[in-house]
Amino acid sequence: MTETSPENDGSGATGTAAQANTPALEMEGVRKVYEVADEEVVALDHAELIVGSNEIIALVGPSGSGKTTLCSIAGGILSPTEGKVIVGGNDISGYSAKQLTEFRRDSVGFVFQTVNLIPFLTARENLLVVDEISGRDRKRANKRADQLLEELGLADRAGNLPSQLSGGQKQRVAIGRSLMNEPSLVLFDEPTSALDTKLGDQMVELIREEMKSRGTAAIIVTHDERITGYADRTVHITDGRLEA
Amino acid sequence: MFLALREMRRAKVRFGLLISAIGLLVLLILAQQALQNGLITSFIGAIERQSAPVLVYSVDGQRTFQGSIITPPLEKKILSTEGIGKSGRIGQGTFSVRLNDATDDSDAAIIGYTDPAVGAPDQLTSGWLPNGPGEGVGSDTDFSIGDRVKILGPGGPGQQTETIEVVGLADDAQLQVTPTLFVEWPDYLASVKSNNPDAGAVLPSAIGVAPVAGLDAATLAERINDSSPEADALPKQEAADQTPGVAEVKQSFQVIFLLFGLVVPLVTGLFFLIITLQKSASLILLRAIGASTGLLVRSLLFQVLLVIGGGLAIGIAFYTPLSQAQVGDIKLSFDVQAVITWSVILLVLGMLSALVAARRVLAVDPIEATTGEGGR
Ligand SMILES: Nc1ncnc2c1ncn2[C@@H]1O[C@H](COP(=O)(O)OP(=O)(O)OP(=O)(O)O)[C@@H](O)[C@H]1O
Ligand SMILES: [Mg+2]
Repeated sequence: MTETSPENDGSGATGTAAQANTPALEMEGVRKVYEVADEEVVALDHAELIVGSNEIIALVGPSGSGKTTLCSIAGGILSPTEGKVIVGGNDISGYSAKQLTEFRRDSVGFVFQTVNLIPFLTARENLLVVDEISGRDRKRANKRADQLLEELGLADRAGNLPSQLSGGQKQRVAIGRSLMNEPSLVLFDEPTSALDTKLGDQMVELIREEMKSRGTAAIIVTHDERITGYADRTVHITDGRLEA
Repeated sequence: MFLALREMRRAKVRFGLLISAIGLLVLLILAQQALQNGLITSFIGAIERQSAPVLVYSVDGQRTFQGSIITPPLEKKILSTEGIGKSGRIGQGTFSVRLNDATDDSDAAIIGYTDPAVGAPDQLTSGWLPNGPGEGVGSDTDFSIGDRVKILGPGGPGQQTETIEVVGLADDAQLQVTPTLFVEWPDYLASVKSNNPDAGAVLPSAIGVAPVAGLDAATLAERINDSSPEADALPKQEAADQTPGVAEVKQSFQVIFLLFGLVVPLVTGLFFLIITLQKSASLILLRAIGASTGLLVRSLLFQVLLVIGGGLAIGIAFYTPLSQAQVGDIKLSFDVQAVITWSVILLVLGMLSALVAARRVLAVDPIEATTGEGGR
């Protein structure tokens, strides 16, 4: 996973052979500075990170260390102040807002720290909405959603609204949602924080299964050192600085 | 539009209430419109219904048949105007009458004309124009064919007076919200004499004129006005619109319409602003997973369209039977023009009102999905 050929004419997204060798994520000298009332908060500093095409990384660090910031930048929700972000071979650092929206829609999966589901959509519809916003073939989407719900043990909850699901079930729906667009990189921001230890372990195990069976790369953010056992590699972050 | 429809389906009560409220407002608007039209038509319908393209009153007649008298010199002056194709006298009076075997009196307006081409109804719903003495065309809300209308005189019921038989009917033919009869001039004279045997020479209330071929009514009216300072000539529609009271009625209704026209977009705008704020967490999430602002705004506008469209459908559905009703002496009618105009106005205003909500949608920042802002 040390190849350094990020520039591949942006065609990396289509060729599976090329994809296998292209890192899912490369961050080079990424810096993020927030300006709050004339004061600069450096949330991320000189971040260098390469995530292999089917690697699962645990990102561990204390609260406020910059974990969410890193995920947001990797997922095209936030633009870095400095540095290069290459996802699946495509340099997204210079993308416009519109390009970033399309990038999020087509290329990455997200499981957020707090809100993940749309309350007026059922579990199944929360998955289908991903295809709805990209206007893709509905038949395929239906099949894929049903398959994911099955894998996540939610087949009998497909018609439930989020308010009719348990915390763990909601989290599983969110995982399904994040996989609907067949991303090459999925970002999990503290997927277990709202769950008890046992359920948390199950959740991370499930994430690992889903990623490995698809060969999808993932970053799992956590404060919980125990969870790192399920990752291929652990990266620590403190005060915006990464240490392997 | 999956999102828009799903959301509405899961919030049936909320959207149902809004659609019903708009339906009610649409119904109120259309009912008021029908009432206004009915009121004005029963006020001046006969003027629009009579066939003369130009009506000439005397200047001091305040543009009503009741107030206007055409003296012989004025009549001569009017008739000498160049460009008159046809002309005829029109007289009008309101009389106490007795209908068929009725035992109590009622009022009727009688309009007499000398030339059916400039004074008789231009259109009948049934029957025919009078073609002999003692015949008349009645307003169809008040009379039926075969009705006999006896003009009452000062001598009581025993007195020998004029009786008019209704041989034709015309719609929207009332004058001053009174049952109205169109008769030939001799019957009009006889009616006046029956009512008041001491009346002297009966003068016309107005002169109906039609321009020669190639000349329009407005130009002819202008020429007549230029030819005599005593003459007050108006094309038919203007004569109707400028009848005293019509403008005032329209104005007061306009205020009501303006209020309704504001309430509908206000209600929709506020509703959509509130639900947009309420679902901001969902909007943030959608933006974060790659929904474009365009998609979210379209989905919002689609909902507005459905809500206003639904409201219009409900309002029109209830307006249809209502428009066939008669309120006292005022006959309502289904006004296609009003329905179309109001539909367009409300759709446009509704869409505009949703722009405030749309601005909120455009301002949604997907980054809030990561900080959990949207969760609160
Ligand atoms: N929008 C913002 N404006 C200003 N400062 C911000 C903003 N977002 C984050 N920060 C700051 O950047 C730093 C990193 O925040 P980040 O959310 O990435 O931390 P985190 O590691 O995810 O923390 P937690 O474990 O509590 O979720 C923090 O000091 C935070 O206060
Ligand atoms: Mg965080």
